[in-house]
Amino acid sequence: MIASAERRRLAGQGLTLAGLLLLACLASLLWGAGDVGAERALAVLAGHGDEEARFVVGTLRGSRTLVGLAVGMALGVAGALLQAVSRNPLAEPGLLGVSAGAAFAVAIALLLGTSAATLRVGVAQLGALLGCLCVLGVARFRGLGNDPVRLVLAGAAFTGLLSALTTLLLLFDQRAADEIRFWVVGSLSGRRLEDLLAVLPSLAVAAAITLVIARPLAALALGERLAAGLGHHPGRVRLLVILVVALLVGGATAIAGPIAFVGLVVPFAARALAGPDIRRSLWLCLLLGPLMVIIADVISRRLVAPSELPLGVLTALCGAPVLIAVVRRRRLPML
Amino acid sequence: MLFSLRKTSPLMGACLATVLALATGSAQARTLDTAHGEVEVDGQPSRVVTLYEGALDAALAAGVTPLAAVATRGGQGVAGYLSDRVPDIAMVGTSRELNLEAIAAQNPDLILASPYLSDEQYALVSQLAPTVVPESEGFTPNGWKNEARLYGEALGHAEEVEEAIEAVETRAADLAERLDSQGTTTSLVRWMPQGPLVMSTELFSTGLLEATGFDVTDADLVKEGRPHSDPLSLENLGEVDTDLLFMATLNEDGREALDAARQSPAFSRLEVAKRDQVIPVDGQLWTSASGPLAAQAVLDDIETALSSDER
Repeated sequence: MIASAERRRLAGQGLTLAGLLLLACLASLLWGAGDVGAERALAVLAGHGDEEARFVVGTLRGSRTLVGLAVGMALGVAGALLQAVSRNPLAEPGLLGVSAGAAFAVAIALLLGTSAATLRVGVAQLGALLGCLCVLGVARFRGLGNDPVRLVLAGAAFTGLLSALTTLLLLFDQRAADEIRFWVVGSLSGRRLEDLLAVLPSLAVAAAITLVIARPLAALALGERLAAGLGHHPGRVRLLVILVVALLVGGATAIAGPIAFVGLVVPFAARALAGPDIRRSLWLCLLLGPLMVIIADVISRRLVAPSELPLGVLTALCGAPVLIAVVRRRRLPML
Repeated sequence: MLFSLRKTSPLMGACLATVLALATGSAQARTLDTAHGEVEVDGQPSRVVTLYEGALDAALAAGVTPLAAVATRGGQGVAGYLSDRVPDIAMVGTSRELNLEAIAAQNPDLILASPYLSDEQYALVSQLAPTVVPESEGFTPNGWKNEARLYGEALGHAEEVEEAIEAVETRAADLAERLDSQGTTTSLVRWMPQGPLVMSTELFSTGLLEATGFDVTDADLVKEGRPHSDPLSLENLGEVDTDLLFMATLNEDGREALDAARQSPAFSRLEVAKRDQVIPVDGQLWTSASGPLAAQAVLDDIETALSSDER
């Protein structure tokens, strides 16, 4: 009885969020930094409208909305998984060395002569995975089984090291510095659907693994011994989660650049709505992540039109106060 | 002579006075009006260090080869258009980060610095040798001329610099007549994947475009006193859909940068892109350099661009 009431409440939340997300996507198609306003955009959606508006809505806003959906989902889920596995509500996907690894790879690629415009997303994703593997190596597989804190600390240290190396590389080459300074803040603008298609396979793999490990992960929250007693392998589950997070964040970073705080704030909100069970909060993250990213993106287009504010700046500006408020208001929940 | 003296700036007047003084043979000690007050220079300095691309350019135009210079923006050495003239020049840092020890090691007798040299750096550098810093005029298309004149005067070669500047003005006017560029709208942009930076109309290179008859626009996007706009939203790319679009690149290969821009559907649907009227130009020269030689190089680019394609 209680379970079914709980389920109904969750379904209600899910439907509400899905509705909000739909509205956000609509807003993302209707408003931008350009002349094509809501009226002309609506005409396009209704099947007519002028050529200019069709291009702006269909090609520019349409693709960035799709990219925003994918990036938001990936970051939200990655954040929830990482916080669950490290049992630390302040863990952020960036801590795994993923963003720093991606930025480092991009910096090397720029130094070797590619320009930010022709950069294949593969470079960033490879960097993200390598960065993550290095963090795992530093933390050592053996340590993973019993001490997630060690992983986060290793990740933080490694992130610092990679950022320093990136800065060093850029000091030698100002052209690369010029190009990368627009990449490192993260943005959805100018991203093509081909870029999205290039990372979809890795996102799909990550989604499939997530479905398999959600249940053991929830058991892990009950404690190491209990999870083992239920027939799960805590060490193996952790490793898989790390891999999934690297795939998700690597993919998101490869398309949009590093976007701060989404992976941190979204799981917080999801837990506040659905409680600590990862199997429930994950579904909400899937909706909340893109909701946050797309709303932030729409705002970023309107604030300084005819230019645009980089999305990463806006999410950081919105995310940081939320984080500070949450941390100050009450004792951090243990996961 | 008197008439022109009255009409031009005091700086120019001072220059002309120097030229006159040179002609009468008493050129030895002179007092220069710099941003940091009056600076005494004697004779024709031979151990010159330039801490500014515009100063290196002016010195070379004056016939003086400096011992050392700063690296161009985004490069290891001097800008490409000058590298053949000064193959062995020593590097003393970048304009943002000067290597004081390297400057001192050159044992300079004259230092030519940028109008943007900070007071702190001036205090240090000016202990090594008399340091000439032009008064900053902000971003003005013709500011380089007064800068070059001051450097020329400091070097004791005011006449050569004046001639070089006149040559630029004459050639620009000649091009304006020959190229049929009147009323042709143009913009200078730097391409970024998320949108171009539109360069100010008050820059050295956009000023030269103006001087050759173009109607240069920044689509009102550049704020007062800034060298370029924020990245323009791709939705508003139509703002720079001019008759002719100059695209500054920091890569050596401008063609490659143009191909990169063409990958963006928002760019390739511009009329100017369809007509193939986008001209890639060297960003080191067009957005960082200044001076009489740079001006000639920019005019070369403009001439090539307009005569290669029959418009």
